[in-house]
Amino acid sequence: MINLTINGLKTSVEDGSTVLEAAQFLGFPIPTLCHMEGLEPYGACRLCLVEIGKAPNTKLVSSCTYPAQEGLVVRTASSRVLKARKMVIELLLASCPQSKVIQDIASAHAVNQQRFKQEHEDCILCGLCVRMCKEQMMAGAIGFRGRGENRSLGTPFDVKSEECRFCGGCMYVCPACQLRCTFNEPEKAICGGCQNLSPPCVEEEKFDDMMCYMAPCVACEIDKA
Amino acid sequence: MSKLSSILDLEQLHQRLFDDSDHEKLRLVVCAGTACQASGSNGIIRVAKKHIIQKDLLNKISLRITGCQGFCEMGPFVLTEPQNAFYPQVALDNISPIIESVLDDKHVEELLYRDSNTGKKCSNLEDIPFFKNQKRTVLGANQKIDPIRIYDYIAQGGYLSLAKVLSREDPDWAVEEVKTSGLRGRGGAGFSTGIKWELLSRQPNGKGKFLVCNADEGDPGAYMDRAILEGNPHSILEGMIIGAYGTGATNGVIYVRAEYPLAIKHLTIALGQARDLGVLGENILGTGFSFDIDIVRGAGAFVCGEETALIRSIEGQTGEPRQRPPFPITKGIHGKPTAINNVETWANIPVIFRLGAREFAKVGTKGNSGTKIFSLVGKIKNTGLVEVPMGTTIGEIVFGIGGGPPGDARIKAVQTGGPSGGCIPVKKFDLPVDYDSLAKAGSIMGSGGMIVMDENTCMVDVAKYYMNFLKDESCGKCFSCRKGTQRMYEILDGISKGEGTLEDLDLLEELAIAVMDSTMCGLGQTASNPVLSTLKYFREEYRRHIVDKRCDALVCKELTGAPCQATCPVGTEAWRYIAHIGKGEFEEAYLAIREPNPFPSVCARVCNHPCESRCRAGESGGEPVAIRALKRFITDRVDPGAYKPMRLVKSDPEMPRIAIVGSGPAGLTAAHGLSLMGYKVTIFEAEDRPGGMLTSAIPAYRLPREVLQKEIDSLIDENVTLKCNSALGRDFTLQELLDGDYKAVYLAMGAHKSRRLGLEDEDAKGVHPSIKFLKAFNLRGESLAEGRVGVIGGGNSAIDAARVALRQEKVDSVTILYRRTREEMPAFPEEIEAALEEGIELVTLVTPAKILSKNGNLEGIECLRNELGDYDSSGRRRPVPLDGSEYPIPLDNLIVAISESSDLDCVAGSGGTEIDTVDNDRIKVNPKTLCTNLPGVFAGGDVATGPSTVVEAIAAGKKAAVVIDRYTRGDELEQPASPLVPKVYIEPGAPVDEEIEASRPRQPEISAESRRRGFDEVELSLTQEDAIRESSRCLRCDLEFTRPNQDEAEKSTAESKPA
Repeated sequence: MINLTINGLKTSVEDGSTVLEAAQFLGFPIPTLCHMEGLEPYGACRLCLVEIGKAPNTKLVSSCTYPAQEGLVVRTASSRVLKARKMVIELLLASCPQSKVIQDIASAHAVNQQRFKQEHEDCILCGLCVRMCKEQMMAGAIGFRGRGENRSLGTPFDVKSEECRFCGGCMYVCPACQLRCTFNEPEKAICGGCQNLSPPCVEEEKFDDMMCYMAPCVACEIDKA
Repeated sequence: MSKLSSILDLEQLHQRLFDDSDHEKLRLVVCAGTACQASGSNGIIRVAKKHIIQKDLLNKISLRITGCQGFCEMGPFVLTEPQNAFYPQVALDNISPIIESVLDDKHVEELLYRDSNTGKKCSNLEDIPFFKNQKRTVLGANQKIDPIRIYDYIAQGGYLSLAKVLSREDPDWAVEEVKTSGLRGRGGAGFSTGIKWELLSRQPNGKGKFLVCNADEGDPGAYMDRAILEGNPHSILEGMIIGAYGTGATNGVIYVRAEYPLAIKHLTIALGQARDLGVLGENILGTGFSFDIDIVRGAGAFVCGEETALIRSIEGQTGEPRQRPPFPITKGIHGKPTAINNVETWANIPVIFRLGAREFAKVGTKGNSGTKIFSLVGKIKNTGLVEVPMGTTIGEIVFGIGGGPPGDARIKAVQTGGPSGGCIPVKKFDLPVDYDSLAKAGSIMGSGGMIVMDENTCMVDVAKYYMNFLKDESCGKCFSCRKGTQRMYEILDGISKGEGTLEDLDLLEELAIAVMDSTMCGLGQTASNPVLSTLKYFREEYRRHIVDKRCDALVCKELTGAPCQATCPVGTEAWRYIAHIGKGEFEEAYLAIREPNPFPSVCARVCNHPCESRCRAGESGGEPVAIRALKRFITDRVDPGAYKPMRLVKSDPEMPRIAIVGSGPAGLTAAHGLSLMGYKVTIFEAEDRPGGMLTSAIPAYRLPREVLQKEIDSLIDENVTLKCNSALGRDFTLQELLDGDYKAVYLAMGAHKSRRLGLEDEDAKGVHPSIKFLKAFNLRGESLAEGRVGVIGGGNSAIDAARVALRQEKVDSVTILYRRTREEMPAFPEEIEAALEEGIELVTLVTPAKILSKNGNLEGIECLRNELGDYDSSGRRRPVPLDGSEYPIPLDNLIVAISESSDLDCVAGSGGTEIDTVDNDRIKVNPKTLCTNLPGVFAGGDVATGPSTVVEAIAAGKKAAVVIDRYTRGDELEQPASPLVPKVYIEPGAPVDEEIEASRPRQPEISAESRRRGFDEVELSLTQEDAIRESSRCLRCDLEFTRPNQDEAEKSTAESKPA
């Protein structure tokens, strides 16, 4: 067992636990976006930041990836954490304002302004879909391509994937666009699917059944407006 | 190559190679580093080989082709042994004389290196300041070694450090030595190498351990690792083999970027040779110790320099950092313990064992031992690689070794540490370069890039450049790094285009701190440094972009427009009249000149033409367009009547009255501007005629009186009343003006008081303040000078005084005394040149120490000789008087022209209204509104700025007219600025021949002989042919902004066609 202190409370957790798990065990709320039980921690969204170490040598780390260590001192809601987290949320809001998940997080953290040039992206590259596809569906049909601002999600070289089984797992876990019915056509590869869903799946006669049960369906809502 | 089977074998081989190498053998050493290859060293090598073979010199002289030796600015260069002569920038024809000189044991004098700061010839490599001030422990070996010959390396003592370590048979000793040496990682973070090794050696040894050489050098402007990889690959291998022995590592990897083909080639050759010789691979030197090294090529992602990303890249995965812990030292490549060190760190290991750890630790400062290589690039005279002990100050590196700025622009900052580093301003150049001091100043040591920036570098643009780099090179995993760098770029881009707001600065800072805090790896955590450090030290530059919409460095395109227009204080569209001249439209050209400037003929003669100093045609070695000469051509040619001023208001007796004190360019311009707006203006002039400094200080040979008079007359119209011989403080007071029916008062009295030297007997007969001297002559025709005349000062006023004195009848000789060197004289270079031509003597590097007088009469002056000392904050070397160097100069007259200030007694305390001043030298104003502390009282020109140029005074006058108009209307005085860019499209003429483009015409002058005693104008007008040809050299920077958009043009023609 590993002993550590979180927000002043001493606790011990099993070897191999993350700081996030330890904090959640104690009931401290830490917002997450790219974290999901059953999937390997990735640390992409940077929402789960916590401050570790003793002053003045403290630093912020993502709790979902940081292993619990003997004697670690953790603060989950220090002013530095909250400040950085708010900025991350503001950046998320500036990119994906239509995501209900992000809106809820923003609301919960009193982020009520967005000072950047507004974008309308449907992907924050959190990698949930990639990990879902690989780790739970054992397919590995999709992944990240490129780096920096050109990083994107999809199949290698936009070639139609033979691994994809239309399971919809990627759609199910997506926090940004909520709906990613993309069939496995290269030109409609993972991101950018939302716009194609006007009443989705069925109307375009690709399927006999509706392929998702998200409520509300953002694409449908947009179409109505 | 036979395999060495024992340590003794190696030592014997070394001894044999060392003895065999004839140290007196004549040799030509050619640098073939990548930079020298780019500047032509391959041709040099080819010609040298041909010469040696053809002349049958193979037994007499040999050729060594080395890797980068560091002095890249001088490439391609050649060294000779044993003379150690250094021949920079060698041309192909120079090879044979150099070879012949080596054979005769001589130097080719005219090809030797000359120090550009002192002009001294350096016959020896060690005399060259660039090399002299360095300590080349690691880099120095490059000169002695052909990188593809292992025997060269062994002859220099290579692999003997390895032999030393192996013969001890104690791996822990090796680790302990590295710890004692205090070596810290040269990749940038500065972690102790010894401790890293110790940690690795303690890892369980079951599955194998890795050592990695990080050769993924990706910082823009940094190439020191490349020099070692290409020039001395064996030193890296030796370091790694020693490391493997000490830590028990079994596998080595050199991760080198694929963009370094020569490095990969040399490394591959070196690895093969090392294996063949038995110093690498199985059973090294028969000791039973085995270790091998592989090369892995990086695919060019900057982030792969980060250790966890590098490990993933070696494993064949996407180069993407992961969370630490677990650290690579416990879980690295394929989960095995791994230690990663930078190229330079590895190259330092053999040095430690050669010198001994304690000896190594003596170099540098406590906690920062050894030397560090920096790549010194940017706006610097001596571009190249520089190796200095840790703790050397930035100033020593930039000025002492780098030689300072290459041009006139002053150095402003250095950027260290690449995209993760920050900018350090010149005022902090006494900062010692070590890991801790740089971090404290907001930058990092990084791998050693040092980019020098001068006044022509825009700091907003620098931050934008790095953000652009980082937004592409961030791996993109952390949302806040990927999006944060993009957003920072977006904000900076907005600011550089004039779209920024002051709130943007706060947001930028907030975002930068959040990105620093919230990202996983070193790239993200330091990505904000360029933004934060420029915001910290250069916030004013950001504000200038945002509030004034100006980029003073003329880099941000949208805020600069055409540089000639941007640098002109009155915003003259020089490009526009030049374009008109090219088309023969001289009248249009005159209008473009006259509209913004009521003194076109004056400025055509005496303007300091800032437009020419930044003319794009003058960059990269060309000559700027002769803009002032073209202006002169037009103003001489076109009748001023062509210009009909736009009167905004019909003459109305009810319009408010404005008082202006002083009728110099600042006062007259303001009066003219106000008159056009309908105001009734009264100008009060202390002297008996108007013109201020134009009349009283500038001599007639530069500005003929009739030209000046005509221009002044044209400005005094029915709305303007001129009252001469009425001086403020003597004939009336400020309070009287305010109490009278003047709605506003504009003070433009100029700076007419010469500063004093502060020496005893300064009031002796024969000593004249320069302004008094010039006024006596220009206004009253009195010649005060006779006999031997001395002038102290280096500004235009000093040159004017000297040249006027020379023209006075009883004068025998004129000598100018200046404390710095000629290059640093603030006077116009062409004026200095003209003065020398006329026979005036110039003595530089002297400080007046004592005025020699007898019975109140001047007899001479005693001067101290100066030496150039330390660099001051302006980057110029301070003149330091030498003790005991006093010497007398006999003189009959001495003119003191060191600077001017304003005589403010006239405004002091007159009638209870106190005006605020700066040091009682000049009136304190808000530079944007020209407001003084008294309501309704404005001040501009020299009286508010201190002595400045004519065109600055005109600009102040224009501004005063606008501001006073706003004041009388009750409008807001300060109004939002907008970028000044060209707006009128003038179709370009046909392209011209290449041949014409190179030459700038020299303005014709009357001969020095005929002008020596006369006051005829010295400079003459260009001929029409010359003027038109010169105008064709203009690069037309305006077209980028004014040329009709191709698409739009097509669209409009398409629309106009009937359907």
